[in-house]
Formats: sequence, structure tokens, C-alpha cells
Amino acid sequence: MEAPIVVIRDLSKIYRQGEVQVTALNRVSLQISAGEFVVLMGPSGSGKSTLLHIIAGIDRASSGEVRVQGINVANLDESQLADWRNQNVGFVFQSFNLIPVLTAHENVELPLLLTALGRRERRQQVDLALNLVGLGDRGHHRPDQMSGGQQQRVAIARALVTDPALIVADEPTGNLDARSAHDVLGILQSLSRDAGKTVLMVTHDPKAAVFGTRELHLEKGELARDLVQE
Amino acid sequence: MSEARPESQSAVPSEGRSVGGWFLYALGFYNPISWIGWLARVWVRQFGLGPFSFVILNAVRNQRRATLTVLSVASSCALLVTLLTLQRELTVPPESEGASLRIIARNKVSLAQPLPAKQLSIVERIPGVVAVSPFTFFGGNYKGEEMTSFAQFAVDPARFRGLLVEGRISDGSYDDFIRDRNSCFVGADTMKRYHLKIGDRMKFTGTFYPVDLDLRIAAVFQGTVDDRGVFFHHKLLDELTGDPGTVGTWYLRVASAEVSNDVIARVNKAFENSSAEVRAETERAFQMGFISMLGNVKVLTLSISAVVVFTLMLVTVSTMSMAIRERFRELAILKALGYRRRELFSFILAESFGLAALGAVVGIGGAWAVWTFVDLQRLTNGFLVYFEVTVRTMAWGAAVAATLGILAAIGPSVAVARMSVVEGLRTLD
Ligand SMILES: Nc1ncnc2c1ncn2[C@@H]1O[C@H](COP(=O)(O)OP(=O)(O)OP(=O)(O)O)[C@@H](O)[C@H]1O
Ligand SMILES: [Mg+2]
Repeated sequence: MEAPIVVIRDLSKIYRQGEVQVTALNRVSLQISAGEFVVLMGPSGSGKSTLLHIIAGIDRASSGEVRVQGINVANLDESQLADWRNQNVGFVFQSFNLIPVLTAHENVELPLLLTALGRRERRQQVDLALNLVGLGDRGHHRPDQMSGGQQQRVAIARALVTDPALIVADEPTGNLDARSAHDVLGILQSLSRDAGKTVLMVTHDPKAAVFGTRELHLEKGELARDLVQE
Repeated sequence: MSEARPESQSAVPSEGRSVGGWFLYALGFYNPISWIGWLARVWVRQFGLGPFSFVILNAVRNQRRATLTVLSVASSCALLVTLLTLQRELTVPPESEGASLRIIARNKVSLAQPLPAKQLSIVERIPGVVAVSPFTFFGGNYKGEEMTSFAQFAVDPARFRGLLVEGRISDGSYDDFIRDRNSCFVGADTMKRYHLKIGDRMKFTGTFYPVDLDLRIAAVFQGTVDDRGVFFHHKLLDELTGDPGTVGTWYLRVASAEVSNDVIARVNKAFENSSAEVRAETERAFQMGFISMLGNVKVLTLSISAVVVFTLMLVTVSTMSMAIRERFRELAILKALGYRRRELFSFILAESFGLAALGAVVGIGGAWAVWTFVDLQRLTNGFLVYFEVTVRTMAWGAAVAATLGILAAIGPSVAVARMSVVEGLRTLD
């Protein structure tokens, strides 16, 4: 097995609302190796999204330690964290979350505007990413001119255009029909298998789980099952 | 399918459009906001996406709202410029070189109280006085008018000549004016306005004085700061009113601006403790004093301006924060992608400021064009003469617009700074 890219120790997340405390995550410990395609499952409210958000650096833990590529994410300040996300994490969400005034090409280009890349290089990277998701010819279309499946593929292109080590996806097929879902899962799978990306995907769909190399089950904020598939 | 089509502005199919529909369509088509969006698109296609074009695309994405924001800033700027110009018009009398050389002496009790005509011999002999003439406001209405906007004064023509510093005789003969006690000396603007020529008659009905005038135009002047007045013989007024031996005010000219204060002091001193004490002041000071009788114009216009600007500020600020709040989720995505607060601030500020700047150009430019090219003197019957929109006034308008732009950005910026990515993602669009 390769060196772990994500190391989690005793991670807890507690929400306080007045007197009430909600424990979203309860002392979770976990390691994820580079290149794994981890499928995170569990009932609604079990803390899947919370875990994903903390690993991806858009939420902070209440206690415990999260290291991604050896970096303790909790030690980074807001702007360091922003840079870190830009370079190391790609995001895919259930609702595709593309910017409606921008074309597919421009949406994919957004994370690259923060880098030092020149215009030509950016264009090349964007074209590469769009080709990878099979939308090489759709670059000039705006989100409202594309189907849901296409929009989600654009979102995946946006997630991988900066060549991050980690791609997180929160129910990426939740709004898609079976066919488009299959395409999207296939792309995520090949990213992990062929491009060596580490993919962490939350899903409710047992059929989606078979695309992954490992299945994690959360229940009431605790890790209930951890299956490595062949 | 696409889950949401936020703010897409696809063209409405053209068949079955009502009259109102056509109107809205034309408004959209001819709305420069949509041209800006189109230009930004062309720009991006040519030169690629950058922060600047991203801001423009966002700013004009919702045409209606962008238009509303621009128009609210524009109208507040236009109103402000107009009010400030009005205030200037009412409180700052036209400057002239001669105004500081001329002194008006009036009764200390009030402007309405006359002065004894026999004071002339004393005033005349005061050192520094170059010329002096009686100067009595007649305040009549010209031929059938309800409220005549140009003034008529009774003067001593021969003496009055010495008070004419600027301007020239553009028509007729001043000597003719001096000779004929039933004649008058008229400003070129008034001649033009009423289509008068030398030899025509001007009839006035008295309002202060229970007498009417019937004057023959003998000479015309032009090139003073106010080419509207009508001057006639004081002797005629005396004759008509039964020679009461009084004048309204004394109008004098001093040798130089340096001696004017001394002359004022001497004139005041000369009639101290007499039955008709005098208050002398420069023509300019006199005009300013006259203005203050109009009420406190400055406070009035400033408070109206403040109310207007404040109201429109609320509109601008709320449309702007609406624009940002609708986009919370997108801003959260940008944050997730690695954009920092600072960058998001700049986007918001640039958008807000850009719309405000556009509003300023439209509003200030519009007000300037209207007040410069509309003949207000004619429209207002001579009440407003110059109504000059000065650079200073326009700068005030621009400053207010800039403030609006910045203020409108503050609320949304704070909200975006506070928002965590997770929270922002959870907001539904
Ligand atoms: N901001 C918050 N304030 C309070 N409680 C929260 C907050 N965010 C999440 N929670 C709670 O934390 C728990 C875990 O939430 P989370 O969103 O991680 O669940 P999930 O497994 O992703 O569920 P789903 O499958 O429905 O998306 C839930 O009980 C939820 O109510
Ligand atoms: Mg969830």
C-alpha cells in the first residue's frame, strides 16, 4: 500500500446550538492512501458531508487531527488554506455549482486564474480537462445550454484542472439520471485508476459504490464499516 | 436537466408579443447595459477571461437590476447637481469687476425706507467717491405681465453714466436718453426677449408706487453681468409722485477697490445721528443681503439634497446587497476554489463602484447637458439666468456617487467575509 495521503486521528465535530449539542463526528480515525477511490456512505445526518468538508479544508474540526499530504490543515490561516485548496483539492458538488454567466471553458478556467499560469498554458490545461470529461467541443456553451450530466462533467473538469492530488465529491450523481450518473462515476473512477488521483465521494447510491476501491460507512458520526474492495 | 437557470436572459419569442411586451423588448435591446454585457463577452472571447471581465459579466448579468442601480445613482447625481446649481444661482450673484467698485447706500432702518434727496450734496463730496446717482427700485410690471422678472430703476442719467463700468451702448444714443425725460435705457436681453427696437415704448404698471410709466427706448446696453434692467429718469418718477424729495438708495462708484472700505465708513459716518441714517455696502454685499431675504436657501437646498441622496442611497445599497446575496452560493464556490476574501471584496467593490460610476456619468452628464443646452432664462421667464453647472458641482456629484458605490459594497462584503464556505453552499439559489 502507498503512503497515506490523508491521516485522521480522533476527529470530532460538535455543533452547539444554544443548550443543544449535535455531535456530527465522534472521534473518527482513518487513513486514505494515494490513488484510492473511497466511497463514503451512511444514513442522512450521519456526518458524511461534515467529514468531507473538513478533509477538503472548507470546515474546521472541533478536536482531533487532520493531515493531508503531511500538512496539518488546522494550522493554516484563512488565506493559506485558500491557497492550499486551490493547489491540492478539487471539488464536485451535488448541484453542479457552475457560474451561470461563464461558459464551460471559463468555468473550468476559474481556479487557474489564481495561479501564475499564462493565458496559453491556461487554455491548454482547460482544453485538456474538458477533453478528459468528453466535452472538448462544448467549451463555449454556458451552463444553461447544457444538460445536468454535461454540467457535472464540466464541474469535474474544473475540479481536476489544477491537477490536485485530492478530489472530493459530495453526492455528485444525486441530481443525475442513471446514464449521466454512470458517465460521471466512470470519469471519477478513471481519475483514480489511471491518473492516480485520490477520490473521496459521498453517495447514497449502492450502485455507485461499486466504482470505488474502498467503502466507508458512517453512522451517527462514527465509522461503522471499512471495506477495501478488490 | 439544468436545475436552475438563474437570470438567463434568453430572447422572448417574438410572436404574440403585446404592446407592453414590445416596449420591454425595445427597452432591453436599446438598454446600454446589455451592450456592455455584449462587449464584455466579445472582449472575453478575444482576450480571455480575467478579473476585470469577470466583474463586468457579473455586474450586468441581471439587466433589470443593473439598470435600476445605475438609474438610482444617476437620478441622485442629477438631482444633487441640479440642487447645488440652483443654490449657487440663488446665492452667488454674478461676479463682476465693477461690483466691488460700486457701493449701495440705503436707509439703515430698512431697504423699504427712502432716503432724503438732499443727502446727494454730502455724498458727492466724500473723498474717494467718483460718481453717485440716485437709484430707486420701481418694481413695476411690464405691459400686462403678472410678475415681471427684470427690474426697473429710476436714476439720474447724467450721473448714472459715471457708474457704467462694464458694458457698452449697443444701440441708440445715451445722450438721447439724457435729453428725453420720458425715455429709458434698456438691457439687450430684455430688448431681445420682447422683440423691441429703439423708439418702441415700454409701459409699466406700478406696484410699490401708485403710478404707471410710459417710456420710449432711447439706448440699449450690453455686456454687463446682467443685461436685463431698464433705467429711466428719476425726475420723471418725482414728477409723477408729486416730488416727495426722496430716493430709494444711492449708488456710488469709488476710485479703487482699496478705498471702498474707507468710503463705506465715511458715508455711514456722514449721516450718523441724522434723521435718515445710512447703511452703505458694496454692491456684492448688498446682493448677498438681498438673497438672505429669500429665506435660508442654502439650508433648504442642502436638506433637500440630503434627503434625496439618502433615499437613493437606500435603493442603491439594497439592490447591491440583493445582487450579492443572490450569488452567495457562487461566492462560496469561488472560496472553495481558492479565492480569498480579499479577491471577493475586490469583485464586489469593483462591481458596485462600476455601476455607481456608470450612474454618475449618466446622471451628471445628463444634468450638465440639460442645464447647458436648455434655455432656462426663457423657460423660467428670466428667473434663472446662468444656471451654470460648474466643475466643482459635478465633482460633488461624482463624490456622492463614489460614496454610494463604496457604501453599497460594505454590507455584502461583510456578509461574504462572515460566510463560511459550507454555509454558503447550503444556501439555495
Ligand atoms: N451548521 C450546523 N449546525 C448544526 N448542526 C449541523 C450543522 N451542519 C450539520 N449539522 C448536523 O451535523 C450532522 C451531520 O450533518 P452532515 O451534513 O454531515 O450529514 P450527511 O451525512 O451529509 O447527511 P446527508 O446524507 O443528508 O447529506 C447532522 O445531524 C446535522 O444536523
Ligand atoms: Mg451531506
